[in-house]
Amino acid sequence: MMEVVEIAEEAPARSQFTVDDLDIEILPLVYEIIRSVEKDPHDNTQKAKDSQDTSHKILDLQKKLDSARSQIKKLPGIEYSKEEQLQKLETLRRQLKLKRELLLKYRNMCTFDVPKV
Amino acid sequence: MASNRSTREVLLSLVDDMELIAKELIENTIAQKHLKLSSSEHAQLTELLVAKDNELKSTLQLASEQAKINQKMDSLKEEVERQDQDIQQLQRQLKEAEQILATAIYQAKQKLQSISRANKRPVPSEELIKFAHRISASNAVCAPLTWQQGDPRRPYPTDIEMRLGVLGRLSDLPLNGQMIGSHPGIPAELHRAGHPAGEPPVSQANQFAWHPSGEIHMSVGGQGSVAMNTHKQETEDVEVMSTDSSSSSSSDSQ
Repeated sequence: MMEVVEIAEEAPARSQFTVDDLDIEILPLVYEIIRSVEKDPHDNTQKAKDSQDTSHKILDLQKKLDSARSQIKKLPGIEYSKEEQLQKLETLRRQLKLKRELLLKYRNMCTFDVPKV
Repeated sequence: MASNRSTREVLLSLVDDMELIAKELIENTIAQKHLKLSSSEHAQLTELLVAKDNELKSTLQLASEQAKINQKMDSLKEEVERQDQDIQQLQRQLKEAEQILATAIYQAKQKLQSISRANKRPVPSEELIKFAHRISASNAVCAPLTWQQGDPRRPYPTDIEMRLGVLGRLSDLPLNGQMIGSHPGIPAELHRAGHPAGEPPVSQANQFAWHPSGEIHMSVGGQGSVAMNTHKQETEDVEVMSTDSSSSSSSDSQ
């Protein structure tokens, strides 16, 4: 939960949260957990300590996944799939073009003939 | 990947998948020997996890591209907004211009109408001059050159003329209705064009007349007026001024 809180505090200060700011490496954690589970010490005290360690790591993994979800929710510009986004971009471009043309039309249509005296 | 799903949904579902696979893997690792999956299945699960991770990475790459596109869209939106404002301003100005032009056209049309009306019935200048003579004959616009103090002829309606008018008759109406009958004879008195200068008609009403200074003067024959108020300073001023004007007018006529 630590990371989630940290990011939530950071987000308002920053204008944009980008993919480079993401921290969602999951595989190393999974690897760590499996390794610590498969380690089979003979010493009983060591065993108890290890299992405690493992459960701690599993909790960490859970936190990591949650934080990954909340970070993904903060990413800008992924409300649509890329195709849709490109479509919308094209629509905006067309709109801008139309508006520019309209402005030009307005500006050029009002040329009054100077009455000949 | 379905194209109608947003990239965010795709990313979230990938994370969900990875969570499930990781759980499966870990559970499998802790499970009892006889419940364990075969090593080939285990390897498949691991490969799937890695594949999902790769997919996540590539989708994140896509997300970063989309973030850039988003920036472009934002700037485009700003531009569109600016153009919108420009268009609105222009429309406002056009509306104003239209209004001004409409008023101008309306006025011009009215002028054209009156011009065509004048063209239809032209008035000869001689008739105009005759009419002007008729108006000024009763001293309605200007006092006669030979005007002197006590002369009742004025370029504005005198007390008696006001009483003869509609307004004067209005106040008389409730008092004596038979006055209306006597009116037709009175307008003859208004035509004072024939009166010789300096010889006001000897009428009781004409003896009192309002001067611009607001004081009542009583005209005595043709010899000038006597101020009835006791404001000496003011009446003297008025006397001096009126004599001045009469002397200047007499010098003009010479």
